[in-house]
Amino acid sequence: MYPLSNTRRSFLRSAVTGSLILPGIIEQLLADGRDPFAMREPHFPARAKNVIFLFMTGGVSHVDTFDPKPALHRDVGKEIKADHPEIKDRPGYERIFLKQPQWEFSQNGECGTEVSTLFPHVATCIDDIAMIRSMHTSHSNHYNATLGMHTGSFAFSRPSLGAWVSYGLGTENRNLPGFVVIAPKQTYAGTQVYANDFLPAAHQGTLVVPGAEPIANVKPRVPTDRQRLELETLQAMNLAHLDARHADPELSARMRSFETAFGMQMAVPDAFDFSKESAATLSGYALQPGQTTGFGWQCLAARRLVERGVRFVELIDTGSSGNWDAHGDMMTHVGLAKNVDQPIAALLKDLKHRGMLDETLVVWTTEFGRTPFNNSADAKGREHHPWAFTSWLAGAGVKPGIVHGATDEYGLRAVEQPVHVHDFHATVLHLMGFDHERLTFRHAGRDYRLTDVQGEVVRPILV
Amino acid sequence: MNHIKTSEPRRAQITRKGCTRVLLSCISCLSWLSLLLCANGPAAADEKLTFETHVMPILKAKCLSCHSGERPKAGLDLSTRRRVMLGGKSGAVVRRAAAESSLLWGRIAAGEMPPKGTKLTAEEKAAIRKWINDGAVGDKGDSNDPVEGATSAEITDEARQFWSFKTPRQSPVPRVNSTQRVANPIDAFVLQQLEASDLSLSPEADRRTLIRRVYFDLLGLPPSPEAVDAFVANSRPDAFECLIDDLLASPAYGERWARHWLDVAGYADSAGILSEDRFLPLAYRYRDYVIRAFNKDKPYDRFLLEQIAGDELVDYWHHYENDDALSEEIIEAITATGYLRCAPDSSRPDFTTIKNADSQYFYPTINDTMQIVSTSVMGVTLQCARCHDHMFDPIPQEDFYRVQAIFMGAFRPTSWVPQMERRLTTLSKSQFEFATGRNKEVDENVKKLEASVTALREQFKKKRFDKQLAKLPEDIREAVHVALTTPADQRDEAQKQLAEKHAPLLQPDDKKLDELLPAEYQQYKESRAELTDEIAVEQGRRATYDEIRALYDLPGEVATPFLRRGDALTPGHTVAPGTLSVLEQAVPFQWQRPPAETKTSGRRLAFARWLTDSKHPLTARVMVNRIWRHHFGEGIVSTPGDFGRAGSTASHPELLDWLAVEFVESGWSIKQLHRMMMNSSTYRQSSTAASNDASQAIDPENRLLWRQRLRRLEAESIRDSVLDVAGTLRPQMYGTTIGLHVWPDGEVTVHDALDKYRRSIYLQYLRLRPVTMLNAFDQPIIEINCTVRSRSTVSTQALTLLNSKLMTNAAEAFARRVLAESSEDAATRAVRFAFGRVPGSDELQSLNDFLASQQQLHAESLDDSASPDEARQRAVADMCHMLLSANEFIYVD
Repeated sequence: MYPLSNTRRSFLRSAVTGSLILPGIIEQLLADGRDPFAMREPHFPARAKNVIFLFMTGGVSHVDTFDPKPALHRDVGKEIKADHPEIKDRPGYERIFLKQPQWEFSQNGECGTEVSTLFPHVATCIDDIAMIRSMHTSHSNHYNATLGMHTGSFAFSRPSLGAWVSYGLGTENRNLPGFVVIAPKQTYAGTQVYANDFLPAAHQGTLVVPGAEPIANVKPRVPTDRQRLELETLQAMNLAHLDARHADPELSARMRSFETAFGMQMAVPDAFDFSKESAATLSGYALQPGQTTGFGWQCLAARRLVERGVRFVELIDTGSSGNWDAHGDMMTHVGLAKNVDQPIAALLKDLKHRGMLDETLVVWTTEFGRTPFNNSADAKGREHHPWAFTSWLAGAGVKPGIVHGATDEYGLRAVEQPVHVHDFHATVLHLMGFDHERLTFRHAGRDYRLTDVQGEVVRPILV
Repeated sequence: MNHIKTSEPRRAQITRKGCTRVLLSCISCLSWLSLLLCANGPAAADEKLTFETHVMPILKAKCLSCHSGERPKAGLDLSTRRRVMLGGKSGAVVRRAAAESSLLWGRIAAGEMPPKGTKLTAEEKAAIRKWINDGAVGDKGDSNDPVEGATSAEITDEARQFWSFKTPRQSPVPRVNSTQRVANPIDAFVLQQLEASDLSLSPEADRRTLIRRVYFDLLGLPPSPEAVDAFVANSRPDAFECLIDDLLASPAYGERWARHWLDVAGYADSAGILSEDRFLPLAYRYRDYVIRAFNKDKPYDRFLLEQIAGDELVDYWHHYENDDALSEEIIEAITATGYLRCAPDSSRPDFTTIKNADSQYFYPTINDTMQIVSTSVMGVTLQCARCHDHMFDPIPQEDFYRVQAIFMGAFRPTSWVPQMERRLTTLSKSQFEFATGRNKEVDENVKKLEASVTALREQFKKKRFDKQLAKLPEDIREAVHVALTTPADQRDEAQKQLAEKHAPLLQPDDKKLDELLPAEYQQYKESRAELTDEIAVEQGRRATYDEIRALYDLPGEVATPFLRRGDALTPGHTVAPGTLSVLEQAVPFQWQRPPAETKTSGRRLAFARWLTDSKHPLTARVMVNRIWRHHFGEGIVSTPGDFGRAGSTASHPELLDWLAVEFVESGWSIKQLHRMMMNSSTYRQSSTAASNDASQAIDPENRLLWRQRLRRLEAESIRDSVLDVAGTLRPQMYGTTIGLHVWPDGEVTVHDALDKYRRSIYLQYLRLRPVTMLNAFDQPIIEINCTVRSRSTVSTQALTLLNSKLMTNAAEAFARRVLAESSEDAATRAVRFAFGRVPGSDELQSLNDFLASQQQLHAESLDDSASPDEARQRAVADMCHMLLSANEFIYVD
């Protein structure tokens, strides 16, 4: 089939002078459709080629950020009744009272959408944003709600949204993973939020921890010339071994994985090397030259990864403590907002400036909102609130400068055009060119999908 | 008639009996009403109407499109009698013999139901009303409580006929044409199917291939070059059989096969869930138990009995209370119950005060435990029946809670024992009382001695203070004395200044005093040394003992509620312990409530005896299939955790059953199964095939086994083999886990100590921090358990092999070994170690060319002070590195 039997030496010689591997051979070997990274067509033409998913850990208060509720100021201290999961049978919560927001809202941009003073920079991008003020979710625990927002499952581990997108579309750049998660710490549910679960392992999120060496073992152990020689020898051995074993395609797939790895050694450091970024760009993201941590670093890295063809980049702002979970004091929102506000705005502007926002979907969300009430109007914090919260989308295929849906006058319930997490997922998949009901994977005897048996695309926010 | 089938997509298994009978008897009837009449004739006024015959067809035609499925309207599911009796969100809808006060009848009579579509006819309404007034009974008559214990009545004979729910029987061994290839009945069964497809077994693999295959299968390690040579040269006819026997006797066998079992048991060294991944220092005892069990060839039935009910099996509490000391057998049996402690359990004492902790933290642990037991041992996905009847298999939701009741004696979500308080010791009661008494005594004595130390220090502190004070000039002496003896907060400004100046010298803290006093006072030094010795002696008297992470019942009665929709907040009726209704005819579950004062409920033992009954349809099949999988790369059933309808069908059903019966009859010997499988021609055949092979066209997936399967080593075998070939693997067995190191970039490696060269099974297995190298090669992240590992080929694996410290160190060690041990040339020696064969002449030439080029590159980069051998050694290390990364090393023919 291939002229290999007696040509090992001549092959090696030619390889030494030529490229790493005889070009094309492995492509041929893999032409049987088993390559998990092969580019695949979506169900219909996609509006977005890439996603940047910004996840704020802990539960951001909607009534203090993106969902103004004047009635909370008017009726502060008013006792209300609510059959709320967080207060049921909870000592000290027999009675609950409205608590007023602590930050002013103002109208922004041409669209006039209100944003609080916690997000002054994001407010300047408001004309690019489609705000969904009627989000709701199915669980009031961090673990379950975080899992739900990532996998559509609130109890069991399932493939993550990013894994589904990578599985559905394959990869554009074989030298980089298709799904990258940049997070300083593990959030609730740990690795499950970016797991491939039953999808092929190639689609699991690759974790990047901000710092000098973002991906383990990517730094070449030896100089390129020696490594090239080593790999040529290795592939010659593998090719000889393959000789009688052409019926086993994983052998050639594995040979290819070494080629990709060789490429990754260059591509990964390059993607995370910001030295060629202009001073203006760096300062836009609030970065000092040489800085390798912070949400600004995460945002700039996301833009660079998307530029290089990574399908899905998720940025998680904090870990499972010291996050937006402001039970004790809403003032902790100040530092957390400050951490992300300018970088997010810089990312949106940078993408727009480079013409990338037309093909990139930017998603901002959290796992649930925070209660508009507490057990006293003077309580400093707010509790978990699955009934209503705000998320927003911007970029490819998204109607800019609009608000979709609304909560009631106190921000308690999503009352107009409510959007469940499943609907949210269906919409993201739609923008990537997928019918969420048809993007399935057969596992344990049935077809699984991200949206389980629910989900409806939120059409009013689409262009 | 189509709508009959389409209207019952989910519950088919459970309700089919009723409707098929109607169908068959009335195949020519045109409408449901006429069908009803035709089937039964107009019901005589004195005939009792029954649900299945008279009511079900009506409900099916008019009501089930809303009132069935996962989310029935108003929470009311009308698809079975039991569900009708359960009621919905508004409570019960049927009151027996009282139609006028039954909600079901009320809504129907008022014409409110069904709200749209065809209304019920007068006859249909009358039938429902009469059925309620007749007592709302089913075909099988009435039971006093239709909700409890009514489940097995709903299992149809047809459901029981599903192959995996019937006790396996041996079919006669088939006759085949290629008799010369029939080494044992396995081959006859395999050849029968091959010959039917015009296929045959591939030729026997050569001896070098065979010994490598056997070593990796049984030990997870490669054979040494010497072992290969000896086997190739062995001319005895039973050389292969002897090789297998030798390897089965090796302790490394247990380390290899325990790992397979630990996957399905969901073993981990941390408690899991949430971001806290608490280390469990005692878990390793169960891991060691499993290794020992495999090495001893503990009969599989005993292995299960011990793991599920070891405490009850050996009557632990009796021995605990009456024996002087616990025997090894008893300690082993309670250690075995660590199997039931594998499920993630994050509970701490403070968790019991968290609102609704039972459903958030405690129920998941018992549910996960059930999933582990059912998928690892029974091959059923019982977990699917937690919230509703199983979608594919005849497992009513009730069954889930019957099995839950087995484990409820130990796991009680509503009165939970936090996991670290849930442990036994290796002591008997008398020993334990002695030990606690002794330790209390030691504590008291030590406390006294420590008080003496304090008193001694105080005595000399004062002495020293006076001495130091006397050294001060006379004029300030008294002022300093007063200043220092005045409490700090009552000093005036002048006193503060004095104190600040003189305190360091006159009033050093206790730590400083402990240095100063012995140097200054010989008497103090001696008395202090005496006290220190006394404390050490006293501490030496402390009774130490081992703790075991075991499972055991808590005393007292326990009730198991049926949870509506699986929700702990909507408990229903109480469920009695039981097993799968569908298996009850094959093997009845036998359990008697023990006398009230008994320490343990006996539920788990009854369950384990049921599981290990020789007639059990699943237990032997599931285990045989697992072992087959590890010898042939794929199970006879390719879904080893699911033998139900959603699982895959058996490729060789008669062979599976034949092996299952043999397994039971051999006394459940796992080693005997290895021998039988590995001595077959099917196992010994070659795996290689060209893509243009004719057999490839007929059976491209090799489902019929016309060749042995090429297999990639599992993560642990890759690491262990790399260390073994490098000559650094340490054979030390058992004991506490080997710690891990998390690097800033997130890489997790083995802690830098001598221990890092031990086999992978001894490394800490943490749920949230998997060892990067092992995880890259598909060692599962344990959430619950893993019944089949995935086998990925991704570039992070290549990066790990190319650049990790583990591989670099191993390559260097391998190079030293190659250069030191042999008179052969380096390339030949290295290939023999890595691949178990001698390189061909072309290959040797290639490798030597590589060594020459690489040596030159190294020489150019080394400075002059390097020894002349250095460049050579480095080149050899690079070659070794590539051999350890090659497909031939990672894949087994």
